[in-house]
Amino acid sequence: MSGYILRRLAQLLPVTLLASLAIWAMIYAVPGGPVGAMVGENATPEQIRAVTERLGLDRPVLVQYGAWLGKALKGDLGLSLQNRQPVMELILERVPATVQLGIAAILIGLLIGVPIAILSALHPRSRLDRLLSGWSALALGVPTFWLGILLILLFAVELRWLPSASTYVAFWESPTKAISNLLLPATTLGVYVSGIFARFLRASLIGELHADYVRTARAKGLPERDVIGRHVLRNALLPFITIVGLMLASFIGGALVTEAVFTYPGLGRLLIQAISTRDYPLIQGAILFILVIYVVINLLVDVAYAWVDPRIEYG
Amino acid sequence: MSASQRPALVAARRVLAQKSAFMAAVFLLGMALIAFLAPWILPGDPLTQNLRHALEPPSAAFWFGADELGRDILTRVVYGARTSLVTALGAVAIAGLIGVPIGLVAGFYGGWRDAVLMRLVDVILALPGILFAMALIAVIGRSQMAALVAVGITGIPSFARITRAQVLSLRRRDFVIAVDAMGGSASHLMFRTILPNSWSPILVQIVILAAVAILLEAALAFLGVGIPPPTPSWGEMLRTGKSYLYEAPYYAILPGLVLTLTILALDTLGRTLATVLEDRQGSTGEPEPEGQRL
Repeated sequence: MSGYILRRLAQLLPVTLLASLAIWAMIYAVPGGPVGAMVGENATPEQIRAVTERLGLDRPVLVQYGAWLGKALKGDLGLSLQNRQPVMELILERVPATVQLGIAAILIGLLIGVPIAILSALHPRSRLDRLLSGWSALALGVPTFWLGILLILLFAVELRWLPSASTYVAFWESPTKAISNLLLPATTLGVYVSGIFARFLRASLIGELHADYVRTARAKGLPERDVIGRHVLRNALLPFITIVGLMLASFIGGALVTEAVFTYPGLGRLLIQAISTRDYPLIQGAILFILVIYVVINLLVDVAYAWVDPRIEYG
Repeated sequence: MSASQRPALVAARRVLAQKSAFMAAVFLLGMALIAFLAPWILPGDPLTQNLRHALEPPSAAFWFGADELGRDILTRVVYGARTSLVTALGAVAIAGLIGVPIGLVAGFYGGWRDAVLMRLVDVILALPGILFAMALIAVIGRSQMAALVAVGITGIPSFARITRAQVLSLRRRDFVIAVDAMGGSASHLMFRTILPNSWSPILVQIVILAAVAILLEAALAFLGVGIPPPTPSWGEMLRTGKSYLYEAPYYAILPGLVLTLTILALDTLGRTLATVLEDRQGSTGEPEPEGQRL
């Protein structure tokens, strides 16, 4: 087991390092290079010299990367150009909002997706199955930004039940306020993942239903409910955990669009604001942060899966 | 009719025999045709502003209303289809032309070439696609070309992985070993022997990636980092429409609907194609080495 974790790390580490190198090198590709990014393209020679010295840009490139990475590992991602606040602080401020939205969306996705998967796997190729597969196709095909707009039009503009823009309210501070703010964005994302969950779980359920142990269980007279509930569902849920984890990881990094629709103050909006104000340290910091979260959750999911399912070959 | 064409025709006929896939194909063809013929069949042009008609609701003159600058929304949606079409074609071309050779070389040679190439590909996958595209645009600036390149690059990994998997499974097949034994060069083996027999999963990927590319381009435009205005883009229209939800609720409906239908149509076509090609391979046990010229 520990060997497996080490091997996975050996695969992930070079990729993460390469990606971090690319994120760091980004600033050199910007017009005007790192200095231009800091002081603008029309800076005076004095300004340029000052910035070059302050940032140590006269040192060898790899030394600069090493210094940047070393600081980043200690949580120092530099200062935002906009308001001179530490980038790490700005990022951490947004994390609770993004995590709360991600979890709510996953819950809604499971609530819709799991029953659909079970119903259609039990009646494969039936009319019901086709109808439910249609839902999955629709859920995956409708762009989240359009679904979000439609939900706003219906529930905020027409019915006036829910706010059209969502703010972050911590769930434990005021559950009702948190829910009314989260409902539309979480449903938007939840509908999307429900399609992924339903498709994936249906496929793995159908795979399990054809397994020999199911025939044995039926042959020895086990009621169908127990065959499904005790055997099939448990085995099919194992690989499913992976997908749920991966979706959570991608929401923490990539709920950009939904956050933009509802002007929700999460990490994604921070990044978009950073890009529109060309706040490069913040852009680099946010992307690096999301990269690390993404890689770590991926690793955790793999390890959890291997730990839960002893059949996984640690190879 | 050569032997290499027949299976493709059979597959196409079997895909179109499915009602949903047929409807999807008709929709996509119709859209492409309208987008292509737009200047001849539409009275107006997508950039003409007429502020007197700003945010006018749907009427005989403006079937789907007018936008905040008095431009006809329907006209802009039709011209937006051109933007989406160009992005999809360009992005798929970039992803395929880079991804397929990477997969071929990685799978064919194995060893360090495989390790290095696939790790490089993994770097693209280390971030969600939209983030990767945004990071690229943050560096190279916002333009139609930037959006196209960014979307294309995010598609490289899927082509590389699928091609690599195909090469690995074909490499041990008799007809490949035969060409190898007869002294076929590495490039002949890769491009003339293996690649012509790998087209089915690649074709499915092309259709699916076209949908992903159109969606990603629209998402980037919606976030304000895609193709810059005034070029009509469905994502950009949704972005602006979102600012007028109370004044002009119909604004965002049509662009979103057309975008959704396009993606659903491509997805349906891609999945039907995948099933048909799988069935075809399943029925004979193994894929026929079509297009094989020794």
